[in-house]
Amino acid sequence: MTHEPKLEPRRRAAVKSGTPPPGCYLSGDTGMWVFVLGDLVIFGVYFIVFMVLRAGDPRSFLSSQRHLDLTMGALNTLVLLTSSWLVALAVQSVRTGEIRRATGLVYGAGGCGLLFLLIKAEEWHTMIGHGFTLTHNDFFMFYYMLTGAHLLHVLIGILVLALFRGEIRDPRLRRMSVVEATATYWHMVDLLWVVIFALLYVMR
Amino acid sequence: MRDRGKRDLWICWWVFPVFYTLFGVIFVPLTRVMPPPRPDVTADQITAFFDAHSLTIKIGFGLLMVVIGGGSIANGLVAHQMKRMSISPVFAYGYIATLAVGGIPGCLFAGLAFLTATFRPDRDPQLIALLYDIALLSFIGSLGCFATQYLIFALAIFLDRNRILPNWMAYVSIWQVVTELMAAPVFIFRTGPFAWNGAISFYEGTAIFGVYIACLIALLRKAIERQPADERVPD
Repeated sequence: MTHEPKLEPRRRAAVKSGTPPPGCYLSGDTGMWVFVLGDLVIFGVYFIVFMVLRAGDPRSFLSSQRHLDLTMGALNTLVLLTSSWLVALAVQSVRTGEIRRATGLVYGAGGCGLLFLLIKAEEWHTMIGHGFTLTHNDFFMFYYMLTGAHLLHVLIGILVLALFRGEIRDPRLRRMSVVEATATYWHMVDLLWVVIFALLYVMR
Repeated sequence: MRDRGKRDLWICWWVFPVFYTLFGVIFVPLTRVMPPPRPDVTADQITAFFDAHSLTIKIGFGLLMVVIGGGSIANGLVAHQMKRMSISPVFAYGYIATLAVGGIPGCLFAGLAFLTATFRPDRDPQLIALLYDIALLSFIGSLGCFATQYLIFALAIFLDRNRILPNWMAYVSIWQVVTELMAAPVFIFRTGPFAWNGAISFYEGTAIFGVYIACLIALLRKAIERQPADERVPD
């Protein structure tokens, strides 16, 4: 009772034409959307708790925020946005059958993910060097916990991009739904970072 | 109606909700570890806590010592379904092993520490406070084995081609990994959202665990319903 992966007619049409079919079409698979929406709820709770604590002591949060490196944060935002764009292009390339191009784009996106990790590690290193550790105050507690939880998602995301690469290797076993689901995950990682960046680094 | 050939599986299935209901009764009204008492209290306040709830803690954790084995039936049923998947049985073994090891600090040890504190109330309040800390840190903060268990379960569902459990359950299991890891700072913080009674470390994690268990029980029921009565599951 093994289950052979099959392309549904709609997806087959999408693969051939390079564009999603008109009408009701859910990219990826339902499971991934359950995960993404649930994960956004989980992070949403973290953000709400952060805002509640911030509202209780806005001066301390604002003065702590000044120690963060806005340039590094903005740079990382740019890196992740770029990688998201590369993944979106890669999905389109898979649809049109340009596998070599898709492969290159996915490696580019994964490279951006690794660059993000490096920049974050350097940022943490600098912060800890200045004495701003996890236990410094509530702001830094959230800084490390939120960026840490997100970092875990980036690490998983790099593995997920490797899955994308593996999925497109063999044309007979290629499933568009898996390709789209992995891309969906990566876009979520990007979206979460944009909100974290806004809350921790930018919001005054 | 239900096939008589599957009566054994249905007994195992019923153990699951009954066991977790008992867990709820033991942890919430009886032993008062859910929601957990405050981490930022003095030794005298801790002694007062044990004095006030001595009887219910003895009944609750005493009962736990008797029924804890029921968990193995529930976990065995999950492992049985994992062995029906088109994957190596190592996943099922890993699932059982991580839960068997994780259950010691995550459940038994906390119970023993609370029982010791209530049965030996004449000890130095500082020692009672130590038992209180050990119990709650191990109860909320022991997470390595559980995080691995959730990861094994998620991987098994992803790799399975027999579709024993739906893909989305794997994702629900991955949320659990995230919330388990977010409980790690309970060792560091005594107040706030990451303390052992915190909004993130405890309440959010527990809410998601509730969703996970409810989904698991419902999906196991469906899996047993679909399972042929005469199916031989490989050893």
